Amino acid sequence: MAYLLHPQLILPCPCGWRHNILAPPSSTATTMSPVLRTGLSGSVHTGEAFARRSRSRSRSVRCMANPRRVKMVAKQIQRELSDMLLTDNVLQFAVLPEASLGADRYLSSLTTISDVEVSSDLQVVKVYVSVFGDERGKEVALAGLKSKAKYVRSELGRRMKLRLTPEIRFIEDESFERGSRVIAILDKIKNDKSLENENRESLDSSAQEDDDNWDDVDPDEGIIYVD
Amino acid sequence: MAKPIPKIGSRKNGRIGSRKHARKIPKGVIHVQASFNNTIVTVTDVRGRVISWSSAGTCGFKGTRRGTPFAAQTAAGNAIRTVANQGMQRAEVMIKGPGLGRDAALRAIRRSGILLNFIRDVTPMPHNGCRSPKKRRV
Repeated sequence: MAYLLHPQLILPCPCGWRHNILAPPSSTATTMSPVLRTGLSGSVHTGEAFARRSRSRSRSVRCMANPRRVKMVAKQIQRELSDMLLTDNVLQFAVLPEASLGADRYLSSLTTISDVEVSSDLQVVKVYVSVFGDERGKEVALAGLKSKAKYVRSELGRRMKLRLTPEIRFIEDESFERGSRVIAILDKIKNDKSLENENRESLDSSAQEDDDNWDDVDPDEGIIYVD
Repeated sequence: MAKPIPKIGSRKNGRIGSRKHARKIPKGVIHVQASFNNTIVTVTDVRGRVISWSSAGTCGFKGTRRGTPFAAQTAAGNAIRTVANQGMQRAEVMIKGPGLGRDAALRAIRRSGILLNFIRDVTPMPHNGCRSPKKRRV
């Protein structure tokens, strides 16, 4: 259904959808924002009146993909990136430097990709990474990932068929930490409250001992880190 | 292999299997299998004989909610509660698979007061063996 135009003016849209857009002719400034799923984009800009009206808008072409597709792409990127973290050697050495020395299945920190957010035009991807371990492990892991951002982008492009591989940004995800802290505090309060109740009801010394032991155990004590 | 533990629908009854070996095990291994849609936490002894297990599905989550980190956390909490009574203090954690359950279950284990000796990643890695399923097209 090519209405009128010169075939050179019809371009494939840079976003993933299989539709074509009209190239901005050099004389007028027309804007396209095709949102359709198949076929050529709907509006055909002809006529002087329209050209005059749309000259005020920007010259750039922006495409918004279907929100469902954005979600699917995000999920797929999450799968691919998690798989890359597990299997790819380069990434693993970047995240855990001691893996290159051979201390390979005994980990000091564990990196997980908790969330992936894709912009609606599928050009920017924000990857939220959560690292389990101490401070130093976190810094090392995040720095390693950020240094390999370009490599990750090229690997993703090789694995996924997207028209334009998006730019990848790694962001530290604090939500796991915060949630864990909150739940730990809530548990402590619950334990304290139950301890009080038990003290009030009956002087059961064995329960008291158990609760004291609970508080004394430092969760960080037994972890051995391989350097 | 040992006879599998009979699956019980509701968790109100005690597990039949645990009455058989009510021994005190100070050290054990916790296996966490974290796939994208579910998390399974199994507590075994050092040799690998299963003591108790729990998963996001058995904790009452259904469908897409099983894959969430909160579900992994409750599953880990459930699995450890059975075992903490038997006096397990130290554990080694083996993590398998991608998925959000890795981090969440680890944090839950650490919060529960059991000392973690080691964290290992035992995701099965073929040395280029079977052909993997076809790529999903997005």
